[in-house]
Amino acid sequence: MTEYNSQNYPEGEALRAQIGRRHRAGLAGRLLFQFATIVGILTLLALLYNILNQTFGYAAVENEVDPAYLVREYEKGQMLAAAALSSEDDARLAAAVADDPSGVALFSYSAYLPRSGALRPLAMDGVQPGEAGYPINRPLFLYSAVQVAQEKPQVAAFVHYYLAHAEEAGAEVGVFPADPEAVEATRASWLGALGLSELPAVNPADYGGVIRIVGSSSLLPLTRRIAEMFVADGFTGAIRLESSGSNAGFEQLCVRQSADINQASRPMTRPEAEICRENRRQPLVVRVANDALSVVVNAENEFAREISREGLQRLFTTAENWADVEGSWPAAPVNRYIPGRASGTLDSFADAVLEETLAELPQEALTNILRAHISRGLGRRLEREQRFDERVLVFDSVESYRAACAGEAAPEGCTAPPRSQNNVYNLVLDWVVRPNVVQTWSLVDSLFNRREVAAEIAERFPEAQMEFRTWLTADFVTSPQAAEPEIAGVRTALLGSLWTIAITILFSFPIGVGAAIYLEEYARESAVNRVIQTNINNLAGVPSIIYGMLGLAIFVRLLVTITSGAAFGAVEEGTTANGRTILSAGLTLGLLILPIIIINAQEAIRAVPNSLRMASYGLGATKWQTVWSHVLPNALPGILTGTILAMSRAIGETAPLVVIGASTFITADPQGPFSKFTTLPIQIYQWTSRPQAEFRNIAGAAIIVLLALLLSLNATAVVLRNRFSRNLT
Amino acid sequence: MIHIRDQERVSSVTAAGQAIALEAQNLQIFYGPFQAVKNVNLAFQRNRITALIGPSGCGKSTVLRCFNRMNDLIPTARVEGAVLYRGKNIYDEDVDPVEVRRQIGMVFQKPNPFPKSIYENVAWGARINGYKGNMDELVESSLRQAALWGEVKDKLDQSGLSLSGGQQQRLCIARTIAIRPEIILMDEPASALDPIATLRIEELIQTLKADYTIVIVTHNMQQAARASDFTAFFSVDENRTGYLVEYGPTRNLFTNPENELTEQYITGRFG
Repeated sequence: MTEYNSQNYPEGEALRAQIGRRHRAGLAGRLLFQFATIVGILTLLALLYNILNQTFGYAAVENEVDPAYLVREYEKGQMLAAAALSSEDDARLAAAVADDPSGVALFSYSAYLPRSGALRPLAMDGVQPGEAGYPINRPLFLYSAVQVAQEKPQVAAFVHYYLAHAEEAGAEVGVFPADPEAVEATRASWLGALGLSELPAVNPADYGGVIRIVGSSSLLPLTRRIAEMFVADGFTGAIRLESSGSNAGFEQLCVRQSADINQASRPMTRPEAEICRENRRQPLVVRVANDALSVVVNAENEFAREISREGLQRLFTTAENWADVEGSWPAAPVNRYIPGRASGTLDSFADAVLEETLAELPQEALTNILRAHISRGLGRRLEREQRFDERVLVFDSVESYRAACAGEAAPEGCTAPPRSQNNVYNLVLDWVVRPNVVQTWSLVDSLFNRREVAAEIAERFPEAQMEFRTWLTADFVTSPQAAEPEIAGVRTALLGSLWTIAITILFSFPIGVGAAIYLEEYARESAVNRVIQTNINNLAGVPSIIYGMLGLAIFVRLLVTITSGAAFGAVEEGTTANGRTILSAGLTLGLLILPIIIINAQEAIRAVPNSLRMASYGLGATKWQTVWSHVLPNALPGILTGTILAMSRAIGETAPLVVIGASTFITADPQGPFSKFTTLPIQIYQWTSRPQAEFRNIAGAAIIVLLALLLSLNATAVVLRNRFSRNLT
Repeated sequence: MIHIRDQERVSSVTAAGQAIALEAQNLQIFYGPFQAVKNVNLAFQRNRITALIGPSGCGKSTVLRCFNRMNDLIPTARVEGAVLYRGKNIYDEDVDPVEVRRQIGMVFQKPNPFPKSIYENVAWGARINGYKGNMDELVESSLRQAALWGEVKDKLDQSGLSLSGGQQQRLCIARTIAIRPEIILMDEPASALDPIATLRIEELIQTLKADYTIVIVTHNMQQAARASDFTAFFSVDENRTGYLVEYGPTRNLFTNPENELTEQYITGRFG
């Protein structure tokens, strides 16, 4: 025995060395598998990185029309329609309200001061005009240019004098000091541009020449007062003061160069600054004061002393009498005296108090916006797709609409219910606002190079806003497909995918499991059955596009009367999708995954222990009872695992659906199995092949939706499976 | 309690007046071209326990499975000869194997309860066979008969698989007697169990004898000697075909075997 051992087996050191070699061989194998696993994980991470990088990130968005402008115009229209008098002249408004005990007016605080005996301004949420926290202030600026300040020292001296005396003079004329921080910021940049470190003391007597001042009337009282002081302090030159409005003032300063200072009641816009620079005028600005917009009532009005923001909204829009604003106030009618449409005052008020967004506007207002901005022809087309109003035609004439509806192919709008508010809102976005993403940045750039992105936008797209875009939003999931990537969504595709997969599963699960039961439990061992089995195994490996051609030939062409729904009278002849329906898609995908389901179900059935069948037969069960009560329940978890795999495959398939003719652009939800369709993978495929970068962003978002759909369907199946397996133990 | 059927159903009666429950006449069993068993002639007496013993591969299990046509489930199996039950050959064309199995139940070597609740394990067979009485009572009486009631009465809704091996086997017996067969075939019912569980099964078989005719295949000669009334000894010939060597009352066969092979086997000299 010992001799045998020593001859044929290693011992001692040799044995240890031999064992070591076996361990090392195992280690090599393990490292290889580890490496493979890591490569797999890295691939997955790279995939996720790519998708996320596309789906989130900064975008430069340019609107053709600013939605805030549309809202403001609507709000102004609403206010003007409710006004008893509107005038650009604050003095006229003040006079009107001074004569009307139940009137209310809106104008600058500086216009109130001269009539303070007959009028009373309302406190807003407890804050008096001019006090800190008063919500409707307008910033007032002085604009000049570096070149002007250098050529004409009297202009710079005047501005410095202005800054030093603004507070003192403002108190006299009813203009309030601006927020000190804002003043300090503009003052620092002004001084910096002129190479000064602090505000120099100015002696007006040292200066002469002409100072030409233009611009907004809001600042006129203050400027006039300071100019008087400047002259009184010994200025030897002349000051020409003109009220031309802020807009004209910028043009005079930069383009015509007929002014040295523009007193503006709004900041310079980016294009205006651009124009200035082109004309060799580097703009300079200081914030000098605040204009408090005052809501003023007659002094005889005893009840109104304070008002809330909501009350203010009602007061200037819908309220018919004072009781509508505050329940405790009398039911006297409200007479409103407000500035005219051209006035910046009304704009400021609308922006500060009426806080509606475009999406919240009533449908009628949105329809009016559409009517004001789109052509009549386009409007007619939209109206024939779906009406805007049940009773009234907005764009079309009655005759032509009746003619269109009486025709053979009556447009859908003749019968469909009218558009919803949300629908019209989307049309406004689509045709009026036209948000246009001019460029997008990846998530990585957005996170780590934020400053560069901001600089690039400022430089290349001065009109655009920088937005952090999450392309995957609730709207994206619930909106239908659209031509513009900003408003396009995946609802159509998502519903298409759900319908298709439902039909696929309904078709292939029962047939697949049935076939597996037949093959495993009933079919005898014969040549024919072996051929069938081999065929099924091979079919599982056939490229999916072949199934697409099969589906095209059989379901789309041959069985067109069934798959189009014509055989069931579901669709009228002539308006069908001609067999390119959800039903065809579902059946084609069903054929595609049938072999996978059969093979997996066979495996699962084969794995059911034979002893269970014996036990069942031993109790006098028939074959069917045995299969139904024992084989199938025990095989079900395995069958469901196979079905999950098959379903995952079907939901991601693109090629066969392209072949059988999925719609490339469809905005209508699928209504049933006989509808035209598109699915998520098809949508993704189409978006990725578009040239615009934004389509790749939404393709990324759609991929996430597809993954989420896949995971949730799989999770459902896994939960089902676990429930079945739990019942079996 | 359902008692055994009356005399007129009895297929045949021996000269001694003993009722015969089941009789194999010239039984031959083939698997494809291979003959597994040849020329078996056996008659099982009612309310008696008959043990089938023999060395491995002698076909005793095959013979047992012939008695309720379980061999039908093996595609290549073929049976010649006759198995008479109530005077009719169960292999006749017009006999439905489902009906045969309804009357001749089977307990398998390895406990194979359904992966269902204990209650459902017992009730399922009764339900599919159209039992119309009170199911709760049937489940209880069957479990009592199988000496399992006391151990499971508080957990009838638990899975049958949660029981121990011996309990599972008794559950399988309860399941079988729930459909009230006339004959119970047992294929080495205790071979997968420990000695204590084995003993309990043997005791159970003894009590069941009052109501059922039992045919039991066993490898364990002590078990055959202890538990059976009659013993049939099988052996294999040079072609590996099994055949019946000797059949008689257990006491005679073990104390005074007629055949030399039997004596060698029971004294442990081969097998």
